[in-house]
Amino acid sequence: MLDAIKTYLHSTVTPGEAGSQLWATVYIIVIVLGVSIAVIAMNWLERKILAHMQIRLGPMRVGPHGLLQPFADALKLLIKEDIIPRNADKLVFWSAPVVVTMTAFTTFLVVPFGRTHAVTDMNIGVLFMLGISSLGVLGIIMAGWSSNSHYPLMGSLRSSAQMVSYEVAMGLAIVCAVLMTSLNPTGTGTLSMIGIVEAQNAQGTWFIFKFFPLGFLAFVVFAIAMVAETNRAPFDLPEAESELVAGFHTEYSGFRWSLFFLAEYSAMLAVSSIAVTLWLGGWLRPFANTLSGPAWDMAFSLIPGLSFLAMAAGCFLGTVRMPKIIQMRAQAIGLGVFGALLALVGLVLLAPGVRERVEDIFWFVAKVACFMYLYIWYRGTFPRYRFDQLMKVGWKVLLPIGLGVLILTALVGMRQELLAAVIGGGR
Amino acid sequence: MSLTPFLRRVLMVDLVKGLSVTFHNQSEKQRVTEQYPLERPVVYERYRGQPRLKVNPETGEPLCIVCNLCALACPEQLIVVKGERNPATKRKEVVSWTYDLSRCMFCGLCAEACSTDALELTQDYEMALYSRDGMVLDQAALEHGPEPVRYAK
Amino acid sequence: MSQPIDSSYLDLDTKDKTFLDSTEMVLNMGPQHPSTHGVLRVILKLDGEKVLGTECVIGYLHRGVEKIGENRTYTMFNPYVDRMDYVAAVSNGLGYCETVEKLLSVEAPPRAQYIRVIMTELCRIASHQVWLGTHALDIGAITPLFYAFRDREEILRIFEKYCGARLTTHAFRIGGCIYEVYDGFEEDVKKYCTFFLPKLDEYEELLTTNRIWVTRTKGVGILKPEDSIALGVTGPVLRASGVKWDLRKAQPYECYKDLDFEIPTGMNGDTYDRYLVRIAEMRQSVRILQQAVERIPTGPIMAKVPKVIKPPVGEVYHSIEAPKGELGYFIVSDGSTQPYRVRVRPPSFVNLQALDSMVRGMLVADVVAVIGTLDIVLGEVDR
Repeated sequence: MLDAIKTYLHSTVTPGEAGSQLWATVYIIVIVLGVSIAVIAMNWLERKILAHMQIRLGPMRVGPHGLLQPFADALKLLIKEDIIPRNADKLVFWSAPVVVTMTAFTTFLVVPFGRTHAVTDMNIGVLFMLGISSLGVLGIIMAGWSSNSHYPLMGSLRSSAQMVSYEVAMGLAIVCAVLMTSLNPTGTGTLSMIGIVEAQNAQGTWFIFKFFPLGFLAFVVFAIAMVAETNRAPFDLPEAESELVAGFHTEYSGFRWSLFFLAEYSAMLAVSSIAVTLWLGGWLRPFANTLSGPAWDMAFSLIPGLSFLAMAAGCFLGTVRMPKIIQMRAQAIGLGVFGALLALVGLVLLAPGVRERVEDIFWFVAKVACFMYLYIWYRGTFPRYRFDQLMKVGWKVLLPIGLGVLILTALVGMRQELLAAVIGGGR
Repeated sequence: MSLTPFLRRVLMVDLVKGLSVTFHNQSEKQRVTEQYPLERPVVYERYRGQPRLKVNPETGEPLCIVCNLCALACPEQLIVVKGERNPATKRKEVVSWTYDLSRCMFCGLCAEACSTDALELTQDYEMALYSRDGMVLDQAALEHGPEPVRYAK
Repeated sequence: MSQPIDSSYLDLDTKDKTFLDSTEMVLNMGPQHPSTHGVLRVILKLDGEKVLGTECVIGYLHRGVEKIGENRTYTMFNPYVDRMDYVAAVSNGLGYCETVEKLLSVEAPPRAQYIRVIMTELCRIASHQVWLGTHALDIGAITPLFYAFRDREEILRIFEKYCGARLTTHAFRIGGCIYEVYDGFEEDVKKYCTFFLPKLDEYEELLTTNRIWVTRTKGVGILKPEDSIALGVTGPVLRASGVKWDLRKAQPYECYKDLDFEIPTGMNGDTYDRYLVRIAEMRQSVRILQQAVERIPTGPIMAKVPKVIKPPVGEVYHSIEAPKGELGYFIVSDGSTQPYRVRVRPPSFVNLQALDSMVRGMLVADVVAVIGTLDIVLGEVDR
C-alpha cells in the first residue's frame, strides 16, 4: 500500500501511461467528483455573478449568501415527479440524457491538470475530445426525437445543426494550435494534450501569443465557436425561453433534466479545458519566461494557498457584515465555518510538500474558471442571435477566418523553409 | 470602407463596450435591493395604505360624525356607516362602521371626502391574510389601526 | 393541422410561395407566454419558419372598464382609468381629466398644468423604461431590464411622494390637481434629470451599437408611412416610419405650447428605428422636465368645478399623446352625474392591428421582437 503511494508520488507520467490501474481509477473518481462539484459551484456562481451584473443580489436565503442553493435545487429536482409523455419512445427517452452526460464526462479522460495529473495521455488527445463531444449531438437528437412532440424535435434539430456547424470552426482553430506544436527541431507536432502543453513550455511562449496576432485570432475563433458549441448566450436561441420552441429538453423533468444541465456545464468545462490547454499554456504558470528563477517559482507556488486564504478572508468579512439579528445567526455561523474550511485548505496548500504537486492543478483550474466567468459575462451582456444569423456567423464569418489563420500560421511557421526554397529555387 | 469603422468592427469594440458596462455594474454600490422582510421599504407620508379611523386624542371619542360622505364617494361602495342621533349632544354617533378591504382599490376618494378628517389612509401596506374573513374591518379594527408585524422570535 | 396551402385569401405575391408543395402550419403563441407582454394570443400561419399571416386573439384581460364608466360618477371613474394602461397610469388620468374638463368647458389653472406636464413626462420616461427592459429581454439581452427598472424606481418614488401610490397613481382630478407639490418636488425632479441622462447613455452603450442588437432589429418589422397612416397607428411607431406627428405639437394641450422640445422621427420604420425614436423621446422628455420645473407658476391648483359634476348634454372627444400613442376619450353626457358612454381609444389596441402587416415574410423569432417594439399593454388593449 505504502509502495503504491510511493510509486505514485515519484512517478513522472500519468497513471494511464504508467499502466497503473489503481491510480487511474482513483483519478477517474476524483475527476468525476471534481466535475460534479465544479458544476454545483458553477450553478451558484452563475446565479450570483449574473445577479450582480444585473444589480441585484441573487440567492441570499438558502445558506449564507445562497451557498446552499445548488443543493436545494438538486434536492428539488431529485424529488420531482418524473413525467414521461405517453407516446414517447421510452428506451430512447431514457437513454438520451445518459448519452449526453456520459460523453460530457468521457472527454475528461485526457484533460491534463498537470504533467502527471491526467487519467491518461492519448497521443490523439485533442481528436479524442472533439470526437467524443460530437457524440453528444447524438444524444440531443435522441432527446428531441423521443419526446414525440414537434417543438422539442425542431429545437433539437436546430441545436444539433448549430453545434455541428461550429465544430468545423473549432476544428480549424485546433489545427492551427496543433501546427504550432511542430515548431521544434524534429519538426513533428503532436495531438496529445500533454504534448501540446509541453510544446508551449519548450517554445517558451503560450500559443495565444505565438506569431501575434495569428495565435490570438485562432484563440478568438475558438472562443466564439465554443460558446456556440455549448448553446450558450449569445447563441442560445434553441433553448431560449422567450422563443416558441423551448428546446430539446422541454419534455424532461426532474432528474433527467438535471442530467442535461450537468452535461451542458460539463461540456462548457471540457471545451474551456481544450482552450486552456491549446492556447493558454495548460498548467504552466504565468510569466514563466519573464519572471523565471527559483525565487519567482516559489513566489508563484504560494499563490494557490494565498488565494484560498483570500477567499476565507472574504467569507470572514461577510460574516462580520451579516445583519446582527437573531434570524441571521445560523447563516453567520455557517459562513464563518465555511471560511474556516477555506482557510484550512489554504494553509494546507501553503505547506512545502503539497505546494509543488498542487500548483499545476491550481493554475489549470484558475484558467478554466476565467473562461467560466467569460461565459457568464456573455450571458449577462449580449442579446441573442436569430437562428439564421447564427448559422451565418458560423459558416460565413468564423470558417473563412479560421481557414485564413490556418494558412497564415502554416506559412509563417514554415517561413525558414519557404525562404530557403524561394532563394534556392531562384538561384 | 474607411479604417476606423473597419477596425471597430474587427476589434469588436461595440461588444467590448457592452461587456464593460455590465462589468462596472457588478460593484456593490450599484445594488438597490432591499432584503424584505429584514429591510423594510421607506414609505412616504402621502402613501395610500390601510385605512384608519381617527379618535380625538384627548377624549378618545371617534371623530366621525356619520356624514356618510365617504360612503357616497367610494367608487366601489364598500363603506357602510350607520349612526344614530344622540339627543344629548345633538350629533350623530357611530353605531357601526364597516370597510371592506377586499374590494378597496386605495384610490383615496373616501379620505378626501371626509369632512372631519376622521378617515385616513395610513402608510401600512402589509395587509395580507390567509382567509377573507378578516378583510371586512369594523370600527374597532379601524380605530385600532394597522399593526405592522415585527418579525422576531 | 396541416393542409395543402390555399393562400389566395392571404393576398400574397407569387414570390412568397415556395416552389415545393408545402403545407401551412398553424402555430399558437398562447395567452400564457413570456413574451406577449400580457395575455395576448397570436395565431401564426407559418410556412416552415416564415410567417404567412397572423391573427391576434384578445380579450383575456377584458374587465368591462367602459361599462363600469356608465355606472360611476365622473369623479368616481377617475381611479378606474389608471388600470387600463397600468404602466403609464398618470397619462390615462390626464387624458380623462382633460376630456371631462373639455366637456365642462373649464381649464386647469397654469400651476396645475405645469404639475400635470411634469408628472406626465416622468410617466413617459417610466413607460419607455418598461418598454426598453421588456423589449431587450425578449431579444435576449437580460440585463437592461434591471437597469431600466432600477432607474424607474426613482420616478416611482417621486410619484409616491406626490400622490401616494406608485403604479395606480390617481394623481389628477377633474379641474386640476388636488395634491399640492410636496417640499422638495422641484429638487427631486432636477436631481432625477441629472441622474437619468448618464443612465440613458449606459443603455445606449449596451444596445445601440451592439452588432447583435443591430442585426436583430434592423430591417425587422418594417412599416411604411402610408401603411401606418392607413392603419391608424400613432405614437413612436408612427414617428419611426417617418411621419412627424405628435399631438403635443399638432394639437397642443396643457402647457406644451410654452415648452421647447423636438419630435424625433425615424427613417425606415423598422424595429431599430422605433428603438432609436423612443430613446430620443426619453431625452426630449428630460428636456421638457428641466424647462418645466424651472417655470412652475404660483397660483391655485384647482379650477372652479362643482362638487357634484353634472356636465351639460353633449359629447366630446379629446386625445393626448400618451407614451404609447394617441390615447383618446370619447364621453357622451346625458346631463346626469354619470356619463352615458365612455369610450376609450387605446393606442395599443390600434397599434396591435399593424402586427399582421409588419410580420408578413418575417421569421418566427421576429414576431416576438415586433410585439415588443409595438409596446402594447394588454390592460389597454382589452380594457
